[in-house]
Amino acid sequence: MTDPANDPVLDATRSALDGPGASPADDAAGHPSALLHVNDVRKVYGSGHTEVVAVSDATMAVDEGEFVALLGPSGSGKTTLISIIGGLLAPSSGRVTVGDVDVTAMNKKELTAFRAERVGFVFQSANLVPFLTARENLLFVSSLVKGISRTQANERADQLLSELGLSARAKNLPEQLSGGERQRVAIGRALMNDPDLVLVDEPTAALDTAMGRQVVELLRREIKARGKTGIMVTHDLRMVEYTDRVFEILDGHLTHVEQPSAIGH
Amino acid sequence: MLALNEIRRGKGRFAAIVSALSLIVFLVLVLGALADGLFFGATGAVRNTSATGYVFASDAEGSLVRSRLPVSDVEKVAAAPGVEQAGPVGVLLTGGVGPDGPIDLAVFGIDPGGPGSPTAVEGTLPTEPGTAAVDVALRDAGVTLGSEVSVGDVSATVVGFTADSEYQLQPTLWTGVETWRSMRDAVRPELRGQTDVINSVAIVTAPDADLGAIAAAVPDTTVLTAAETGLAIPGVEQQSSTLNSIIYTTLAVAGLVVALFFALLVLEKRELFAALKALGASTGRLGRGVILQALIASALGVVIGAVVARLFDLVIPPEVPTLFRTETLLTIAVFTLVAGVVGAMFSLRRIAKIDPATAIGGAL
Ligand SMILES: Nc1ncnc2c1ncn2[C@@H]1O[C@H](COP(=O)(O)OP(=O)(O)O)[C@@H](O)[C@H]1O
Ligand SMILES: [Mg+2]
Repeated sequence: MTDPANDPVLDATRSALDGPGASPADDAAGHPSALLHVNDVRKVYGSGHTEVVAVSDATMAVDEGEFVALLGPSGSGKTTLISIIGGLLAPSSGRVTVGDVDVTAMNKKELTAFRAERVGFVFQSANLVPFLTARENLLFVSSLVKGISRTQANERADQLLSELGLSARAKNLPEQLSGGERQRVAIGRALMNDPDLVLVDEPTAALDTAMGRQVVELLRREIKARGKTGIMVTHDLRMVEYTDRVFEILDGHLTHVEQPSAIGH
Repeated sequence: MLALNEIRRGKGRFAAIVSALSLIVFLVLVLGALADGLFFGATGAVRNTSATGYVFASDAEGSLVRSRLPVSDVEKVAAAPGVEQAGPVGVLLTGGVGPDGPIDLAVFGIDPGGPGSPTAVEGTLPTEPGTAAVDVALRDAGVTLGSEVSVGDVSATVVGFTADSEYQLQPTLWTGVETWRSMRDAVRPELRGQTDVINSVAIVTAPDADLGAIAAAVPDTTVLTAAETGLAIPGVEQQSSTLNSIIYTTLAVAGLVVALFFALLVLEKRELFAALKALGASTGRLGRGVILQALIASALGVVIGAVVARLFDLVIPPEVPTLFRTETLLTIAVFTLVAGVVGAMFSLRRIAKIDPATAIGGAL
């Protein structure tokens, strides 16, 4: 892999982390009615001398309808934090609430249902089901929640595919799609169940710059058009311009909240 | 939708498991047909008659040929508690001559229509001395209604056919005790004059009859049920248990093959399953898909294996005693499906252990 952390221009640690933004904890205090609240979340991997504190005392709030970035160098705890927010990982301590539900209080079964119904994930590599077509990949996730009729699901899948410019590719298997197209299908899949929260981890890692920009632009458009709340993890400074606010993370600490324009290219 | 589409779009790999299962089912069906053929061919004459049990001389160890009883025991047995009917049975394993030449024969002297008598599937049971009913297997030796079958210098006219009535894989000839005795005397001159000796007494018992009490009522006898009499025929029980253990071991191998196949498939799909779990698919949902796939593969294996086994039956030489029974097919089908499902269930733990958190952040 080519590690942008070694590239001085793109390295988030060197170019951006001493900006003038407020601390995320202070910022959160100003957003009491935000959709997402992260309170004093800490995550420790391992124990004893192999102990790694991946996230420490993270506090942040994201309003409904916002599309924010979580920016930090490799190993800073971005994936860990977003996994905890999405109910994939239990924190060592702290609390995450989405709307009026406490994600950190749920059992495994409740978390599975929570992820199916209220969270849309876009992974680093699209991770589509290889033996399902683009359209079937969307329909599959709607089969994971109760109460969506077939016609409803079909209509929604077709609508999303058309918005994502994939109508002509609906019947193609992932192996017949380009990297960018696959990531667009993954975006459609994330939005399929009308989630409250869209969580995206390094969506452009496997794409070239132009393709990456196109995907992130589309992601923003879809999230904004549907009034969703989105968090995109990235270490790529060029991608933050598509977001509303940028949370910076370093060594497991959330350091600042910035406007994208405050982050130099 | 996941499970079915994977099969539909990944035919090659599923063809592999279906072929393996078909082969196993085919093998098991042929072994089963051999087991059934041997068992049915050996035991028909005592299993498929009106008798519910047989009375033997105590020292005969349940062998019809070895047992010798005085004909007067028939009346004593008839008077024993729980016995509704009793009739004589004389047995002679010998060679004879049919229309097309020499044939192997098991001659049974009985009370035609009485206890221990088979039923005629064509023609009638013999009523006159010098007439006989024979097993349908003798049709292959040119025997038809009206044919003469002879043993030594005694011949009998065939008036009927019986089915599933062979004894120790030899076709049977059913006749009255008198004709049986003349045939016996014709080939065993040393037994001439023993006019009051028969081999066994066939009985029809009341449903709650105590066989021990019947034996106790007639000195120096033992009583076996018809089924036990079949199993007491030399080799029958050993053959059945050997073939059956091969069959069930092979079916266990089918389970193992399915278990390995799906273990590999799940291993290969760890990343995908982690992603699907992250998206909200439960272990149960993913596991059901795997089990459905195992069921489909097993069912296809059964169908293809059965068809191939039937085709194979057409080329098995007639001397090989094979019998393809629907009951055996159904049993093997059920066992194969169960083996498939149980095999696939070993993957459930593996699926349960896949951590959805590994889907995000990935290796890239
Ligand atoms: N499952 C794990 N077990 C132990 N340490 C881990 C695990 N996952 C992540 N870490 C460690 O936690 C820290 C943060 O990792 P991560 O959240 O993946 O960072 P990022 O996504 O910003 O690259 C790193 O030091 C990483 O090595
Ligand atoms: Mg990461």
